[in-house]
Amino acid sequence: MATTVTFCQEIANLLHAAGGTPVSACMQCGTCSGTCPVGDFMDVRPQRLIRMIDAGLKDKVLATRSFWYCASCYQCTVRCPRGIDIAELMYGLKRYTIWKNQYPEDLVGPTFSETFIKNIMRTGRSYEPVLATSYFFTLGIKEMLQEAQGATMLMLKGRLPVLPARIKRLENFKRMIQRIIPLGD
Amino acid sequence: MKQFAYFPGCSLEKMAQSYHLSTIEVARVLGIELQELEDWNCCGATAYFHVDELLAHTLCARNLAMAEAAGMDLVAPCSGCYKNMHACNAHLKKDRDLADHINFALEEDNLHFNGKINVRHLIEVFTEDLKEVKAKATNPLAGLKVAPYYGCQILRPRKYERENVEEPRYFEDLMTAIGATPVDFLLRLRCCGAALIITNREAALSMVRNLLQNAVDSGADVIATACPLCQVNLECYQDQVNAEFGTKFSVPVFYFTQLMGLSMGIPAKQLGIGTEFLSPPAAMLAACRKTAVV
Amino acid sequence: MSEQKQLLIIDDDPDFAEGIKSILVKANYKVDMTHNPKDGWAALEKKKYDLLLLDVMMGRGAEGIMIARKLGKDAKLREMPVLIITSIREQMAFLFPGAAVHPNFVDVDELVEKPVEPKLLLDKVSTLIKTSEAKKKK
Repeated sequence: MATTVTFCQEIANLLHAAGGTPVSACMQCGTCSGTCPVGDFMDVRPQRLIRMIDAGLKDKVLATRSFWYCASCYQCTVRCPRGIDIAELMYGLKRYTIWKNQYPEDLVGPTFSETFIKNIMRTGRSYEPVLATSYFFTLGIKEMLQEAQGATMLMLKGRLPVLPARIKRLENFKRMIQRIIPLGD
Repeated sequence: MKQFAYFPGCSLEKMAQSYHLSTIEVARVLGIELQELEDWNCCGATAYFHVDELLAHTLCARNLAMAEAAGMDLVAPCSGCYKNMHACNAHLKKDRDLADHINFALEEDNLHFNGKINVRHLIEVFTEDLKEVKAKATNPLAGLKVAPYYGCQILRPRKYERENVEEPRYFEDLMTAIGATPVDFLLRLRCCGAALIITNREAALSMVRNLLQNAVDSGADVIATACPLCQVNLECYQDQVNAEFGTKFSVPVFYFTQLMGLSMGIPAKQLGIGTEFLSPPAAMLAACRKTAVV
Repeated sequence: MSEQKQLLIIDDDPDFAEGIKSILVKANYKVDMTHNPKDGWAALEKKKYDLLLLDVMMGRGAEGIMIARKLGKDAKLREMPVLIITSIREQMAFLFPGAAVHPNFVDVDELVEKPVEPKLLLDKVSTLIKTSEAKKKK
């Protein structure tokens, strides 16, 4: 047994159930970076991120925003010539940083996801208006006004839900969740 | 008569109500029975995968088990819901341990997943018999140039090996069948940003801008979509794109079911046309007027 | 107690796993370490262990719960005592703030939360092994 586990191995452990080829099989062709629609807005594009993982740059990888900006479009996954499920890697890294509560403070993604999940735990359905709370205050004045305008327009067109929907068998639903995540009464 | 367990998804309740309305109308004309899944829950979107994949699968499995109990394949109009449920179905069918674990949870709601049904996207079901669609298109949308926007999760990840995720044609073929003219919309498979519109607004607005520009360049009068998130990002954020980039886009975005319904002579109001931010273009208004004489 | 007891750890946190391994090795246990469910199951199939130290959050999510359930269904493996050592409350802090981990939702011999004091760890381990052996003798 090895006495130390490399970061690359940690990631392999994280993705033990993922389909496709291991991340370590990357040949650095750059197809993923080239095809990623959000690439321009990532501090580190997918190809480089994978190279950083391979090089064991754990702290640097966890400090990037890249995977939190992934749109899950799977363009990288279907085009990777090695067959690596890169989008799945991004999901894995998101989980890793949420469990460790270790991500850049100003990211909206984690708060948004947490709000979304709590919402569904409460009612079994998602409710758009409450999601606004997770990001509204990160916006500048100009953007806030634009969002408010958009929301008003949606409301006038009858497209904004007023009350949150709720599933009927909510109590069963909650107990069902607790069999997966054993938290709560 | 074809029967399906219909999973509208959270967006179709209000935000994308026109998608729901037009879906029901078109199904009626095509003779397809859509039975709304009783007490369906949210598919979890992408958020649950950010936290616990097992929990994410549990959410979808509940819906799958209910569809199974009803003895029907599940059909989803939203690409996000479709991708989640299809993937969950495939994972549980393949991984016995995972299925056992999730079934243990489903017991709390007296449900069980047996892997007996399939998951379909609505557009898949509605384009199965294009001859029938064409026959029912008594009010063809002549002269309407449409940019068929597939988006991302409807195709990706691949559902089976060698699936054609780079050169699909079914959306274009559908537009032809209803009398419209599909344009060569090069960015038809590129992501609209989805939830990034909230988590990374700058990136998403840029992605939407590229899509709108490409639609305009390809000569489209409208964009047709098959996903509520795409519709909202492309249409409801057009003003914000214009404000951000100094552009002057005014491209209406409709659901493919609204266009289908119109071609079938269904009045615009019943298809939710009018709930959009942008008015239909001339070619569509002509078709709308024809249906009003009922 | 002449023979050395064999323990298996399944925990994705390499530092934590290494930490408890060294405590256990000092107390004369033989310890194998795995860092994901797949490797964990492979180890369980190869060797008979006297106790399993199991993490919860790893890989896809609360995989430890899935492992614990499957163990309970296996005729041979269900006899092996299981000690869950988890930090699920911190890891999933946003979900049920303030809620305790509920052992009733998973059938294990014992559940303790990280961080675990060395003395407590050793006490739990030796008690669980002794109890399990007593059961087998009956």
